[in-house]
Amino acid sequence: MLKELVKEEFTQDIAKGAVLVDFYSSTCSPCKMLAFILKDIEKTLGDQVTIIKVNFEENPDLIEEHKVEGYPTLVMFKDGEELSRKSGLQQKPVIIKMIEEAL
Amino acid sequence: MRKYDLVVIGAGPAGMTAAIYGVRANLKVLMLEKLAPGGQMINTNEIENYPGAGKVNGSELALQMFEHAQELGVEFDYKTVTKIESIEDSKRIYTEEDDEVIEALTIIVATGTRPRTLNIPGEEEFKGSAISWCAICDGAKYRDKDVVVIGGGNSAVDEGTYLATIAKSLTIITDLELTADPVSCDYLRSLPNVNVFPYKRVVEFVGKGGEFTGIKFVDKETGENEQVIECDGVFEYIGAIPYTDFLEKTTILGSGGFLEVNERMETTIPGVFGAGDCNSKHLRQVVTATADGAIAAQEASAYIKALRRKEV
Repeated sequence: MLKELVKEEFTQDIAKGAVLVDFYSSTCSPCKMLAFILKDIEKTLGDQVTIIKVNFEENPDLIEEHKVEGYPTLVMFKDGEELSRKSGLQQKPVIIKMIEEAL
Repeated sequence: MRKYDLVVIGAGPAGMTAAIYGVRANLKVLMLEKLAPGGQMINTNEIENYPGAGKVNGSELALQMFEHAQELGVEFDYKTVTKIESIEDSKRIYTEEDDEVIEALTIIVATGTRPRTLNIPGEEEFKGSAISWCAICDGAKYRDKDVVVIGGGNSAVDEGTYLATIAKSLTIITDLELTADPVSCDYLRSLPNVNVFPYKRVVEFVGKGGEFTGIKFVDKETGENEQVIECDGVFEYIGAIPYTDFLEKTTILGSGGFLEVNERMETTIPGVFGAGDCNSKHLRQVVTATADGAIAAQEASAYIKALRRKEV
């Protein structure tokens, strides 16, 4: 599943299972290309991982809480614990590996 | 083994144009890309000199080109090419991801470039934290802070103009003058929070107790007049290195690892062509990349026609 952040549900969303959070900015080109890759990944792994997109400008509290410094930043959670993190546009196989390590 | 008339390595503007021209010439085309479609366009906030597009975001133009290629039937795959081989009239392509060998009659190398680094003290320590090569990605953390851009070419001026809207102060240190197009240079110079230091050479990224504090530079010609500017972050735009490592064992690379091609984009290996920023050339722009891609694909098509005539 790939969805935009619903603030009230975030803590609950990341608490269980494999959740990949994409901290992005709507004005950032690499973020747009990452979104393109994530859509592709969702087609094949969407039933095993939840992908949540968090807008950088609209969610300063979450950005601070998770110490995100730039965008795009991908943070992989498993049962609420951060497993891995990558900054910048990433190769599709690298993202798939992040997800598979959390399954 | 998957077989194609044309395999395009790289999905930047050169590669995508080559793929479009390839399918329109009735070729079976596969385009390989290790990251995402767009190449250097992805890191460009606004492209203002691609005819007909007006002012366009880099990734939006990239996605439009990619969709165009997909609509015409270009196959696409995420692969990092590690080696190519030329065996008689056939080419073989090996990739990092798996053991699959892809066969093609022709190859267009359109792999683009990556940023050059300074290789000076402190760079290794602070890269990824205080030193960045992507203003669009990392600029946000320097709101109301002091930032330095190293370089004076197109990328330095474009990204510097973007950073100047975010940072408290922007200092540009370059070993020549600003060399981008004069309109962009004049605009950047006119901004109240921008200061340009031409004819300087950066010699060190300075830190204290593991914290980045600033950069040290000297006069380019004499190596004297050492100065330190305190800042919170640095962006390097000092040129590019081609993604041609996988071709090192071939004979088609020239100075700096760039592909040597003729006006038909032919390399010295028959059936292997080069296009875009990875070619040895003077001007690297989206419009010159697309032109290279079109020429390379037309020549690949002509090469295949000649091969087929030979077989008859």
